[in-house]
Amino acid sequence: MTTLALLAAAALAIACVVYVARPFLSEPEPDDDVLAGLDDRERRRLELLEERDRTLAALKELEFDHRTGAVSDEDYRALVGPLRRRAASTLRALERSPGPSDRQRTHVG
Amino acid sequence: MPELGRAALVIALGLAVYACVAGGYAAWARRRRLAVSAQSALLAAFASTAVAALVLVAALARRDLSFAYVAEHSSRKLPLAYALSAFWGGQEGSLLLWLLVLTGFAAAAVALGRRAGQDIIAWVVPVLGGVAAFFAFVLVAVASPFATQPAPAEGAGMVPSLQNPYMLAHPPLLYLGYVGLTVPWAFAMGALLAGRTDERWIVATRRWTLAAWAFLGVGQLLGAKWAYEEVGWGGYYAWDPVENAALMPWLAATAFLHSVMIQEKRGMLKVWNVVLVSLAFCLALFGTFLTRSGVVNSIHSFTQSSIGPWFLAFIVIAVVVSVVLIFVRLPLLRSQVRIESLVSREATFLYNNLLLVALCLTVLWGVVYPLLSEAVRGQSLTVGPPFYNFFLRSFGLPLLLLMGIGPLIAWRRASLRALGRTFAWPLGVALIAGVMLLAAGAGSSIPGLVAYTFAVFVLASIAFEFVRGTRARRALGAPSWPSAFGALVAHNRRRYGGYVVHAAIVLLAIGIVGSSAYQTVGERALRPGQSMRVGDVTLAYRGLTERTAANASELRAHVDVIRDGRMVARVEPGKNSYPVERTTSNEMAIHTDWLRAQDVDVIADEINPTSGVVFFRVLVKPLVNLIWLAGLVFVGGALIALWPDAREERRLALRYESAAAGAPVAPPA
Amino acid sequence: MARRGSPARLVIALSVAALLAVFLLYTSIAGGGTPVVQPSELTGQSGRVQLSGKVIGPIVGSARSAAGARFRLRDVEGSATVRVLYRGSVPDQFQSGRHVYLQGALRHGLFVAKPGSLVTKCPSKYTAKKS
Repeated sequence: MTTLALLAAAALAIACVVYVARPFLSEPEPDDDVLAGLDDRERRRLELLEERDRTLAALKELEFDHRTGAVSDEDYRALVGPLRRRAASTLRALERSPGPSDRQRTHVG
Repeated sequence: MPELGRAALVIALGLAVYACVAGGYAAWARRRRLAVSAQSALLAAFASTAVAALVLVAALARRDLSFAYVAEHSSRKLPLAYALSAFWGGQEGSLLLWLLVLTGFAAAAVALGRRAGQDIIAWVVPVLGGVAAFFAFVLVAVASPFATQPAPAEGAGMVPSLQNPYMLAHPPLLYLGYVGLTVPWAFAMGALLAGRTDERWIVATRRWTLAAWAFLGVGQLLGAKWAYEEVGWGGYYAWDPVENAALMPWLAATAFLHSVMIQEKRGMLKVWNVVLVSLAFCLALFGTFLTRSGVVNSIHSFTQSSIGPWFLAFIVIAVVVSVVLIFVRLPLLRSQVRIESLVSREATFLYNNLLLVALCLTVLWGVVYPLLSEAVRGQSLTVGPPFYNFFLRSFGLPLLLLMGIGPLIAWRRASLRALGRTFAWPLGVALIAGVMLLAAGAGSSIPGLVAYTFAVFVLASIAFEFVRGTRARRALGAPSWPSAFGALVAHNRRRYGGYVVHAAIVLLAIGIVGSSAYQTVGERALRPGQSMRVGDVTLAYRGLTERTAANASELRAHVDVIRDGRMVARVEPGKNSYPVERTTSNEMAIHTDWLRAQDVDVIADEINPTSGVVFFRVLVKPLVNLIWLAGLVFVGGALIALWPDAREERRLALRYESAAAGAPVAPPA
Repeated sequence: MARRGSPARLVIALSVAALLAVFLLYTSIAGGGTPVVQPSELTGQSGRVQLSGKVIGPIVGSARSAAGARFRLRDVEGSATVRVLYRGSVPDQFQSGRHVYLQGALRHGLFVAKPGSLVTKCPSKYTAKKS
């Protein structure tokens, strides 16, 4: 019983080690080993995208709340203007910031 | 076989340490292959822990009493289901369950969370690895489930009150909740370590948090139901430290669920969110430390094992790591956005958060008070239910009211005139209900009356939200009312699922208030043939019988429950004696009147078999069954909120693709 | 968005102050908690305490009778004992050898317990027995 247990344990250990070492075994000489991440420009872009999604969703929700009557006409008028302006300015900022296609274009050629 | 279990745990420990150390280095030095290797280590740790768990399950199934753990917590006579549930019946096994769930969740979170961004995941892996390493270390070095001994003739058996379907589900569900809270915390720490200030970590862990919170809530309800039916003192919550241990992280998680919505809608409260998720996680650890270490006087008692100091040390590390990371990243997290108006949905969420955290900290204060007073004054002091009940009322009633106000107010700003219109109907309904309740006699308890009125207000405001939304959908062109309703919920699952959950909480509140503020209690000794009146029922005691079951001898008193002159039920409260375990248990009889949602609990407190005299304690608890109904509604609401939304998933995927350029393109040769 | 003096900060501060005030109000009215003692620490305690210990010896009488149940409670790890008189509902598991705790006060060498305050701890994990 004990030998069986020890053999099973050894098998488990070996399997785990192999599984953990797999990235190194399958790519002994990789082209690049750098972890993908976001640089500052991409982070800024991501924050703009989140801001854009936020304002667009807020506009949609405001629209719906107004339709259901949760938001009165005057409140709607007071809130919708600034939201639309913010959405517009975020979209403009996004157009200015370079996207992935821009980067690839500058890298190649 | 125990050697396999022990070896598997050692392997799991090694893998967890590797995931933590190598993963940390890989994230810091930006090494891709090492990061992938660390992720694989987490998965392998799960596999290894699963092997250890299977060894224990197999030992329990075949009643292998050479395992000390099996011998201590089960017996040959124990039915299989309960023998298997002994897995989590003791210190070592429950720790193994924790590790199993933790490594399983860690593997799943990392595998499923790839869309959260490689840079965050790279840091999440070492955090999860570190937590797993702690539990694996404790299992290997301090409390091993695989200790062996010469097999005794029979095991110690399981305490009879645990041989109960509720106890099959209650601990695993609680653990799914406790451990589930580790994932959002790890992602928060990962985001901080990666220097990220966007909400991606929240988006990635939203469902995890909701699911963990739901598990924790349902687990507590099951525990309360077990206490009510099985322990049989007529109550379901005693503010015992072990009960509070689950309540505190649940309250913090509730606050967190609400405040992340503010970050999502307005981009603010980033620091607060990270603080809350850390609080929830640390309270989960603290809760389990309390129930295991026996430092506070509680109904639970774990034998004094050396586990307490290790847990405490780990909790301190977790707190320090959270605080340090938050401080270091504080400048990054500060947002420019401010709350525009104190009458806005953000503001109500903020008030809700303040009240929830206040309640959570009050419970925490009550729990640690004995320890603090001992350290400061040399004398341990305790607070009891009056303390907790006072603050539950003080903070809970405003919270109840806010649940009704929140949905009726718009984001950003709401003018008072608009509020007047939206509030009119629900307020009117609530006032009418309040007057009717007063007329019906609910004035006997002022907090109860206030709670009921608030509850009606909230239910009315939720109903109006659904009605208004469905009407709007219909106006937008939905072909029929049912399809309008379906479209409404489908298009905004989190919002309307949340309303259903609120309705569940209101039902819970009504049930709690009814069964405590408006309950009637009666106590008397009766001879066979005598009767007693409690509330609106009469109980007639007919006689005693004794019978023998598989592992117990059962003494039962036969009591007729009579209402309005008619017998509505025959109940049999009594006591069981268990020869193997050498204990007795109280078997409370519950008669449920479904129409009134009321329970009549009859306890045979003291039985004199020779004279037949029984001392009865009877409780009439109105509306108590709403508490259990609330559990079902709660699950339904949580499921609606959790349900995947294909449209939203696409939108999010698009957002994150647009941001990242992916792996850097190699420069031309 | 321009940063202006936000009313929110003020309201948050006031709310926190209000919550603390509720807290202080309670503690000033209801007092600071009940001391938790074992039998060896009972001497000198005149007010209400929470007494915990191990039941030793026989349990004489019935807790539901007028005369109550009498038993001895001993320090969990120690030898000091005290006589206890208890009336009220008796939880499961209450028998000689169990760890219990209850509220009450020492009166002329006899610990008179508050009715219904007896709680039994079960020696194994994960059980709750309460009256």
